[in-house]
Amino acid sequence: MIVEGLGKKYTSQGADMPALIDINLEIQEGEFICLLGPSGCGKSTLLRIIAGLIPASSGQITINGKAIDGPGPDRAVVFQDYALFPWMSVRDNIEFGLEARKLAPGARKDISNKLLKVVGLADFADRYPHHLSGGMKQRVSIARALAVDPSLLLMDEPFGALDAQTRRSLQDELLRIWREYRKTVIFVTHSIEEAIYLSDRIVVMTARPGRIKEVITIDEARPRDMAGSAMNHRQREVRAVLNEEIERAAILEQHDMMVGATHG
Amino acid sequence: MADLSYTKASEAGATLVALKIMGRMMPGRDRLLGISTIIAFIAIWEIVYRLGLMPVWAFPSPWKVVLAFQELIANGKLLSNTAASVGRQITGVLLAALVGIPAGLALGASLTARAAFLPLCRLLYPIPGIAWIPLSILWFGVGFKSTVFVIFFSGVWSIMFNTMTGVQTLSEQYTDVARVYLASRSLYTWRILIPGSLPYIITGMRLTYGVGWRVIVGAEMISSITGLGFLIDDARWQLRPDIMITGMITIAMIGWVSENWFFDWVERRTIEQWGMKTV
Repeated sequence: MIVEGLGKKYTSQGADMPALIDINLEIQEGEFICLLGPSGCGKSTLLRIIAGLIPASSGQITINGKAIDGPGPDRAVVFQDYALFPWMSVRDNIEFGLEARKLAPGARKDISNKLLKVVGLADFADRYPHHLSGGMKQRVSIARALAVDPSLLLMDEPFGALDAQTRRSLQDELLRIWREYRKTVIFVTHSIEEAIYLSDRIVVMTARPGRIKEVITIDEARPRDMAGSAMNHRQREVRAVLNEEIERAAILEQHDMMVGATHG
Repeated sequence: MADLSYTKASEAGATLVALKIMGRMMPGRDRLLGISTIIAFIAIWEIVYRLGLMPVWAFPSPWKVVLAFQELIANGKLLSNTAASVGRQITGVLLAALVGIPAGLALGASLTARAAFLPLCRLLYPIPGIAWIPLSILWFGVGFKSTVFVIFFSGVWSIMFNTMTGVQTLSEQYTDVARVYLASRSLYTWRILIPGSLPYIITGMRLTYGVGWRVIVGAEMISSITGLGFLIDDARWQLRPDIMITGMITIAMIGWVSENWFFDWVERRTIEQWGMKTV
């Protein structure tokens, strides 16, 4: 996948507000990429553009040489707040993409059975999402994405709403699934620890408008020992790059609040 | 010793079971309060009758109403008129749903549809159902069709506006998911739009049903020779207030049963099971 000269502008009150400027990125098949940046830097916007949910204002994204202009069967998204359908059982949720692809019920069931096992929810197939914990809901959402067998898995702060322990176990599970299914993963997060633990490369973005500040390669072998000195060193390195941007984001926010106060 | 302890244990068990059964049969405090108020209401009715505060020919005792019930059940009039009313009500409400739900879905999903049709709907909506009766008699004659038309026209708005609101308040995330997984328009409508706005659709159906049941009596008084409305109006010519009250109680009971039991049952099977019930 190649992202070339990608930009995104929003128009608010007649003025153009740039959200993303000149994003250039090349992602290899099977890579695990984290988009890391301060809140409001446009990393989720970038993910939504890659998903085809919103159009870019300039530049283009090509996957295997083909430019994308909307959602496609090669991409699936895992949303931050799960976005499961409460009126469908766990199984029906997982099968939704297959239903959209008009697969026969039997074939759908084979796939969902397998994925229910992969994410450890075989006993919950007939439950409704509101009976599940946050971690279980996100497993269903991951299974739903895997069901359509995409080559690119897009994850928008998927573990952001989970407690630390659940988060850690889901990270491990995601790595296991990633290895087993050989997917390319683009994972949005604002947690440095998460990014270092998971990714092959971390794309650090600037405070708004979002640009790519630096791409950091993490080549330590997995499983990574977060308490070890190598990872500690990595963490300091990434933190140093990111901190500037977090501070800048804070100043921007303060400015916004002051403007808001004088105007409001 | 062993025997003794055994009997004691079984005794304790029996007491526990008895307590449980009593607990199930004993109405709760709230229910008790509600029932006492109804009993008090009937008692006041009886007292007013006994004291002769109202002319006897126009004010029957509760017991006379019970006798009228018996009479109407025996001669089959209660059943036939109730069947007539319920048939019209169900037809009218189903028609309102058949038109109102798709219309509401379209209005909720499309800005253009809202711009085009909402002003007209807002103009027609405040016209009371009763006001349509004379016109509907001109159009459809006396009987089934004109009553159904009136029920339909007074009820369709609630279900339509509620469905529209349901679609409008549906989380945009569901639409995102549908787009990501390339769902067709029909899959989106049947699997997301309709179940997603079901809480509002059910509320709309409750309102539509209630409006219909309230308007049916008026319609039948004017434009029908069957139905509970007719039964009540016809009793006027026979100077039978006991029959009037019998008809009114029947309307109350059917309305109460269907509005509470039926729609509660639908809710339990759907939105409550899905954890979508908020009110």
